[in-house]
Amino acid sequence: MTITTDAPIELAPAIRSLPRPRRAKPVAEGTVAISVATLVALVGLWFAASHFGWASPLFLPSPEEVAVQFQAVAQDGYAEGTLLTHLASSVWRIGIALAIAIVVGIPLGLSMGLNRWMRGVFSVPIDIYWGLPPLAYLPLLIIWLGIGETSKVLLLTLATFAPICFSAQAGVRSVPAERINAALSLGANRLQIFTSIILPSALPEILTGIRIAIGAGLSTLVAAELIAARSGVGYMIMSAANFLATDVVFVGLIVIALLAFALSSAMRWLERRLVPWKGKI
Amino acid sequence: MLQVRDASVVFPTSDGQSVHALDRVSLEMPPDSIVVAVGASGCGKSTLLNAIAGFLPLTGGSIRLDGAPIAGPGGDRGVVFQKDTLLPWATVLDNVALGLKYRGVPRRERRQRARELLRLVGLSDFEGKPPYELSGGMRQRVGIARALATDPKILLMDEPFGALDSLTRETMQQLLASIWAQTAKQVLFITHSIEEALLLGTTIVVMSPRPGRIVARFDVDFVRDFARIGEIGPIVSDRRFVELREEIRALIHSSPAAEHGRLQ
Repeated sequence: MTITTDAPIELAPAIRSLPRPRRAKPVAEGTVAISVATLVALVGLWFAASHFGWASPLFLPSPEEVAVQFQAVAQDGYAEGTLLTHLASSVWRIGIALAIAIVVGIPLGLSMGLNRWMRGVFSVPIDIYWGLPPLAYLPLLIIWLGIGETSKVLLLTLATFAPICFSAQAGVRSVPAERINAALSLGANRLQIFTSIILPSALPEILTGIRIAIGAGLSTLVAAELIAARSGVGYMIMSAANFLATDVVFVGLIVIALLAFALSSAMRWLERRLVPWKGKI
Repeated sequence: MLQVRDASVVFPTSDGQSVHALDRVSLEMPPDSIVVAVGASGCGKSTLLNAIAGFLPLTGGSIRLDGAPIAGPGGDRGVVFQKDTLLPWATVLDNVALGLKYRGVPRRERRQRARELLRLVGLSDFEGKPPYELSGGMRQRVGIARALATDPKILLMDEPFGALDSLTRETMQQLLASIWAQTAKQVLFITHSIEEALLLGTTIVVMSPRPGRIVARFDVDFVRDFARIGEIGPIVSDRRFVELREEIRALIHSSPAAEHGRLQ
């Protein structure tokens, strides 16, 4: 007997001669041009607003002024540091905090997903502090740890820890029961179930958690630097605002926007590399 | 030999009552048999399979495989699910080799065995693909190959072709009949299609719901002809096939719960 496979059937010539249906373009391809046009229009509007005197230069510096100031801040610096050193201290703070949150949060979240006791003990304290706005407990951290880097890094660690931990827990809980049953019927032991089924199944959720954590971390970072710091992009913005140097404020905002964009692009790239099956099953 | 003795499964329901999903079911499966359990939804056929697979504890009775009582899921019973449970991050080949990997079979050896099985199910050209790039029928073929890879004593199949379109389904039925003819693997197959039951079974048990019981048992032999001819047409138009189909249909429709359902 023969076993037929799901091979495509040769199309009849009559069907082949019909006009081809138009294939839908992938979404990304379809929106890039529109997004670029929108960006150009916004910059054009900004240009017009500053040049035709719709807004005072004190409130709205022109794009050229900001570009010139960007170069000046990059070369000569502003508020005790060049743009690069401010950026470096901001990135260092959030980088260290994220690293700690990932190294501690993922194992804790996984164990909370697996174990009733771990979940019972840890979910309430994490839930309680996660409900607080980070800036509300920043003063407390400063009282305990001083104004230095430790209090800021701890603040960012706390802000990024909860989403990572909870997403790892949710990732474990979302593993389909059939997938585990299938592995058990293939003779998997508990360790093999964890490493070959639960961990990779939880990975998409964990990456989503890290993405959320980066968002939470960035907003907390800049806010914390506005309040209590001697360096960082947030500190630079606050110093400039004190002297009504609106153009430098714009430079700071653009740098933060670029940083956020770079981080979210990196996460998207990572998701494509690590979980290409996401959304396909 | 698989022996099910007076197996019962009782579920508590939310309103404090209990549902007898399986009520004192007894079944003996000789080696080299395909036992097909057929019945309406809720007749306990999937519960029976889940209990044999070890996913569900019995509330009464016993299930033994070669004399040893079943305690939880294990590699001696291969399972093919209705919805595929392939790992999306692994290639087709690695999915088939998964059970062998769990057993510590060296990489070269397990890949070689997986390739043999992919050839058996007609998917040799797809070994490097991820499962989500395959059609539903192809994914079920991978599932069958994966379940066979560890050479289990029995293959448990829970409506494996239920989600496929009718043409793919026929192809898969042919494939299973031919695999069975080649490997003589013992199979327990669950379906709600009477025709599928007759085509594939050497023994057919008809089940009825509330409580889940076996109401009739037929020993048939269409599957051998089916495996030999490789075509469905001549089998399903056979007079004996048609008679049995109508007899089983009448049995399923005359069960008390079915009557009850019709009155509502």
